[in-house]
Parts: sequence; structure tokens; C-alpha cells
Amino acid sequence: MNFAFQPEIEMAKETAEKIHKKFEGRRKELFEKIRRNEFVQEIWDELAKAGFLGSIVPHEYGGTGIGLLGSAVAMEELAKYGIGNALFVLTICAESCIIRNGSEQIKRKFLPAMAEGKIKCALGVTEPEAGTNTFRIKTFAEKKNGRYIINGEKTYITGADVADYILLVTRTIPYSELSKKGLPKMYGLSLFMVDLKSKGIKMHKLNTRGIEGMNQFTIFFEDVEVPEENLVGEENQGVFVMFNGLNPERILAGASAVGLSEFCLKRAVEYANQRCVFGERPIGSYQAIQHPLADVKIRQEAVRLVVYKSAWAYDNNLPPQEVMFLANSAKYLAAELLLQAVDRAIQTYGGAGFVEDNFFIILWDSARLLKTAPISNEMILNLTAEHVLGLPRSY
Amino acid sequence: MKILVPIKRTYDPNSKIKLKTDGSGIDTSNIKFVINTFDEIAVEEALRKKEEFGGEVVVVSVGTQEWIEQIRTALAMGADRGILVDTGGKYIDQVGIAKILAKIVEEEKPDLVIMGKQAIDDDANQVGQLLAGYLNWPQATFAYKVEVKPNEKKVTVVREVDGGLETVECELPAIITTDLRLNQPRYASLPGIMKAKQKPVKTIKVEDLGIDLTPKVKIEKLETPPPRKAGVKVKDVDEFIAKLKELKALPF
Ligand SMILES: Cc1cc2nc3c(=O)[nH]c(=O)nc-3n(C[C@H](O)[C@H](O)[C@H](O)COP(=O)(O)OP(=O)(O)OC[C@H]3O[C@@H](n4cnc5c(N)ncnc54)[C@H](O)[C@@H]3O)c2cc1C
Ligand SMILES: Cc1cc2nc3c(=O)[nH]c(=O)nc-3n(C[C@H](O)[C@H](O)[C@H](O)COP(=O)(O)OP(=O)(O)OC[C@H]3O[C@@H](n4cnc5c(N)ncnc54)[C@H](O)[C@@H]3O)c2cc1C
Repeated sequence: MNFAFQPEIEMAKETAEKIHKKFEGRRKELFEKIRRNEFVQEIWDELAKAGFLGSIVPHEYGGTGIGLLGSAVAMEELAKYGIGNALFVLTICAESCIIRNGSEQIKRKFLPAMAEGKIKCALGVTEPEAGTNTFRIKTFAEKKNGRYIINGEKTYITGADVADYILLVTRTIPYSELSKKGLPKMYGLSLFMVDLKSKGIKMHKLNTRGIEGMNQFTIFFEDVEVPEENLVGEENQGVFVMFNGLNPERILAGASAVGLSEFCLKRAVEYANQRCVFGERPIGSYQAIQHPLADVKIRQEAVRLVVYKSAWAYDNNLPPQEVMFLANSAKYLAAELLLQAVDRAIQTYGGAGFVEDNFFIILWDSARLLKTAPISNEMILNLTAEHVLGLPRSY
Repeated sequence: MKILVPIKRTYDPNSKIKLKTDGSGIDTSNIKFVINTFDEIAVEEALRKKEEFGGEVVVVSVGTQEWIEQIRTALAMGADRGILVDTGGKYIDQVGIAKILAKIVEEEKPDLVIMGKQAIDDDANQVGQLLAGYLNWPQATFAYKVEVKPNEKKVTVVREVDGGLETVECELPAIITTDLRLNQPRYASLPGIMKAKQKPVKTIKVEDLGIDLTPKVKIEKLETPPPRKAGVKVKDVDEFIAKLKELKALPF
């Protein structure tokens, strides 16, 4: 067993550090933008220019194939300075679905532009009546004269205002007809790359919090036409496309959380070393302050290893069940870690922890979100109990 | 145009430096290594000239096998090939390094050598000038702006000097050393990193060059500067001036 990065991953990490340094002088201005939920295009452009959007895309489709680990270390590195980028994660996730399941035609159509950062992609799974239970979605795609016509509604869709496309999960056989036809629940889902500028799409902005720098939307689809070639993977087999494709979202979200936990820890330690409350001793000299921070550090190292291992498992094509287990574990642990890290940073800062400029109270929302989305921690426990431990299905 | 860029592996300027307990050197455990800041600027400048005029950028390091990491970084930025002169870890002073580089220059016959004005570890600021001396080439140190005219076989260099800027013109081939404000180095992109894996790096054993490397300079001991003493707080400007006078810190 060798825990050292390959030289190219080490270099990718250095590149991410340099990107961050480029922005360091302007952090106040950028934080301001993020707080107003404005998309920071320049960060996206730098990540694209450096090739991080092509990390899992094979060479023949305009990427480098350096692997998901390359993007994971980049996410972690940027997050150490408080910079997250949800659309980056979602776009890589869409790439993953196309790479692992898409036809040659769809690969050629989308991957080179996505690897270059020219296409930003949102992810459309959740509906008002189907979140945790994706099988119950109702958005329907009907095949007509070599095109698909889509009708339905998605909600909580992150970044729909800035994204160019949405990777949309639809039904191509209604849920109600499955049992009549004796088909399993997992059958009849299909995924499409849908141009968000298509006719028949309307958006409504939600008053949600939780992803810094991004808004969520409800999207209405009314007779939206999608060319047949935009079907990702086989018709009705969408569940397998998602199965393979959605792991990077959890892995990259985990990487980002590990980085953000370091952001909290570093600042908390600096503050604890300076702030004196009783006498001349800094509060960092009290065990009540330092033990919880040390505890975060220890957990962080453990979570980091699971994040790296899950990225490695994805890159090395381990069996899907195993990658899923690791990716789920990474997300589950990362959510707990980040929440704890933010909590301890706020506590260390006292009242200053609640000042928005210090960013922790904003991160609190993001940290808390991670327990609920992209997949809830309960659902991860359900899946682990059923598929990994072999216990009866509980849901 | 062929450009040779010597690069040194140094401590990351952002890392905290600790000395070995006996003062014989720097404790390198837990320290990150990077291309010396000024050398990175030199690589960038060489790449820009290559983009402008075509040709080749060759990087050379005099060090140990670990230095290939930094050579690879330069290749990932866009340099074409690398040369490592392997010292086996033996201490070589600036005179020795300059002699080795002179030998490499004789073999490679570049039109231009662009290198850092100094390394951020020992801040010696010697090798560029010594190399120009050994080769008997013109030199332009502390470059702020470099303009090459390949057809006239000339280079115009704006230099940072104490009083401001000075412009000099040299015949090619020449030695240029870089100052901090010359450019903002690019970072290695992922495609660059993957391409670098295929680029050649040649290793030469320093013994095989047949150079007398007996050091003229010996490092006796390293010490950290004394810790800063606590300051005092003053009420206003008057008290501040009075304090400075008391400390004899004013020229009047
Ligand atoms: C800020 C934000 C951004 C989002 N971005 C996106 C996006 O870009 N794209 C997208 O598709 N979706 C997005 N979502 C939606 C998110 O993925 C869902 O909210 C999440 O999957 C939960 O679904 P739900 O809200 O319908 O909750 P429900 O499914 O209604 O669940 C409610 C609660 O019940 C629990 N629960 C349900 N079933 C079980 C069970 N069997 N056992 C135990 N507990 C159970 C759940 O864990 C949860 O705690 C986003 C949400 C937010 C808040
Ligand atoms: C939204 C908001 C509303 C507020 N409203 C009011 C108000 O109306 N009126 C008002 O007067 N104040 C108000 N406050 C201030 C609040 O009461 C203080 O922030 C709080 O008392 C902590 O003080 P501090 O911020 O100076 O933290 P510090 O005293 O600097 O403490 C920093 C951290 O060190 C810990 N610590 C300190 N000493 C020790 C020790 N010996 N052992 C272990 N741990 C220690 C503290 O528990 C804390 O976690 C408000 C604050 C906020 C954020």
C-alpha cells in the first residue's frame, strides 16, 4: 500500500494552489459576490483553463484522463481557502454519466466542450413529490418523430440560471404502468442532456440557502423538444446511468467538505492563539477550546482518506457497489466532519463567529445541507444496511 | 531560438523554516519543495520567447534525483526537455555550479540563457554573473523587461537598479537573470502535466564532466534571527516622535 500521490496528482494540487493564490488579493470582493449568490465566472474560467473540467474526460474527447482524484484534490485545495464550486461538481457529474454510459455520438457532441469549460451543466433529479425516492419522479419524455418531448417539473435545481444544460432524469414509462406490465420499479428511467435555453422551459427562483454562490430553482418543462441523440445511455436504463454517474458528486462534495473543514480549523487556531479573555493567556491554551479543535483534525484525516480512496476506486473502475459504498461513506462522514468543524470555529470565535464577514455562519448552511443533499444521510444508512450488510430492505 | 533555463529546487517560500538542532542546515522534514521563485519567472520568460519566435526551451538542474520533480513541473509548464546533473548530494558552491552550467552551455549551445537572479534559500546572487564570466558572454542581470531581436542577434533588457530602471543591449548569445516583476509565471495545466510525462529528461553524473569542484565557500553554521522583542503602544504622533528620538532612530 502506498499513500503517496502520483507525481501528476501532486502537480495538479500545486496548480490548484496557484489558482487560489491568484485570487487571494481579491478574497473580500469575491466573498462579497458569493454572499450575494453571484456566480464567480473567473474561478470557473481558471479551473477550466487549468484543465480541471477535463480530468475524468479521456484524451480522445479533449480531456486528460488524469482522473477524478485530480479534481478532488483541486476541490479540496480551493475549499481550504473557502472557495467551493457546486457547478464544477455537477458538470463533472454529468460528464461521468456520459463517459460511462453515453453513445459515441453524445460523447463527441458534449465532452470536448465540457472539458474545455464551455458547457456548464446542472443536475435535475428532484421533484416536488420525489426527492429521496427518485423512482417516483413524474417528468415524462415521450418519443415522437425522432425527438423526445418532455413535460414535468423539477425543483431545488442548483445553478439553473448559470448552467447551459441540465442532465435531466425523466420517466419514459410511467411509474403507474410498471406494475401492470410486471416491470421492476427501477425500470423506465431515461436521462437527457437538455439545453436550458430550449423553448418551453420556465424557471422560478427559490428562497433556499445552503450552496454558497448559487441559487436553486423550480423548473417547469412544457413540451420541451430534445433531439434523440441527447439521450444519455439506453432508454429505460437510466437507473444504471445514475448509478455510475452520481458517485463523483458525492466524492467531490466530500473533498470540498474536507477542504472547508481545514478553512475553519486554520482560522480557529489562529484566532485561539491571539484572543485573550481572562488575563494574558490566549483562549487556545484552554483545553475546552483546543481539544475540540484537535478532535476535528483527527477526524478530518480519516475522512480525507475515505474521500481519496473513493476517488481512487472510481478511477480504477472498482465494482459499482464498492464505489457506491465508498462514495456514500465519504459524503456521510464529510457532512458530519464539516458540521463539527464549522461549529467549533464559531464557538472559538465567540460572537465574531456570527459575523458574516468571517464566513463561518454562511458555511453553517452549506455544512448542514450536506446531511440532506445530494443524498440524505438516512438514505446512505439504508443503502449501506441493505447492500453492504445484507440486512432486509427497510424502505 | 534555443533557450537554456537553469532551475533550482528550493523550499516553498510559504513554508515555515526550522533549523536542524545542531545548526548544520535546514530541517527538511515536513517542508515542501518548489522551483525557486526567480527561476520560475525565468521559465515563463523563456516560454514566452519560444511562443514568439519558435525554438526550444531546455531546463537544467544541478542536484539530486528528487530535483526531477521540479524539472517535470517546468516541462508541464511547457519546456521541451530537461537535464539533471546528478551531484549525488555533494555540496557544491556557486563557483562550482557556474562551472558545471558553463559545460552544459558549451554542449547545448543555446542562443540565450535565462535564469533567476538568486535563489530564495541562500540569496547568493552569484551564479548568473559567474557563468557569464566563465563563458565570456554579455550579461544583463535583474531583468524587468526582455525584448529579443533574433534577426539582429541582439537582446534589449530593461534592468531594475537602485535608482530606477536601466536599459541595456547585448549581443546574443547572452545571460539574463530575472527580477521579480518580469512576469507572472503560468501554472502547469493538467494537459501540460500529462504531456510532461512523455518529455525526455537526461541525467548526467557530475563526475563525468571532469570539473574541479573543490568548494571555495564553506557554510560554517546557520542561525535563525533573534526573535522580535515586544513593541510599545503610543498615544499619539507626538509621543511616537519622542519615542523615536529617545531611541535615536531619527536622523535629526
Ligand atoms: C440547497 C439545495 C440544493 C439542491 N440542489 C439540487 C440539484 O441541483 N439537483 C437536484 O436534483 N436536487 C437538488 N436538491 C434536492 C435534494 O437532493 C433533495 O432535497 C434531497 O434529495 C432530499 O429530498 P426531499 O427534499 O424530497 O426530501 P424527502 O425525500 O421528502 O425526505 C424528507 C426526509 O425524510 C427522510 N427519509 C425519506 N425516506 C426515508 C427512509 N426510507 N428512511 C429514513 N429516512 C427517510 C430523508 O432522509 C429526509 O430527511 C437540492 C436541495 C437543496 C436544499
Ligand atoms: C447575534 C448576537 C447578539 C448579541 N447580542 C448581545 C446583546 O444584546 N448585548 C450584549 O451585551 N452582547 C450581545 N452579544 C455578545 C455575546 O454575548 C458575546 O458574543 C458572548 O458573550 C461571547 O463573548 P465574545 O464574543 O467576546 O467571545 P470571547 O469572550 O472572546 O470567547 C471566545 C471563546 O472562548 C471561550 N472561552 C473564553 N474564556 C474561556 C475559558 N476560561 N475557558 C474556556 N473557554 C473560554 C468562550 O466560551 C468562547 O467560545 C451578542 C452576540 C451575537 C452574536
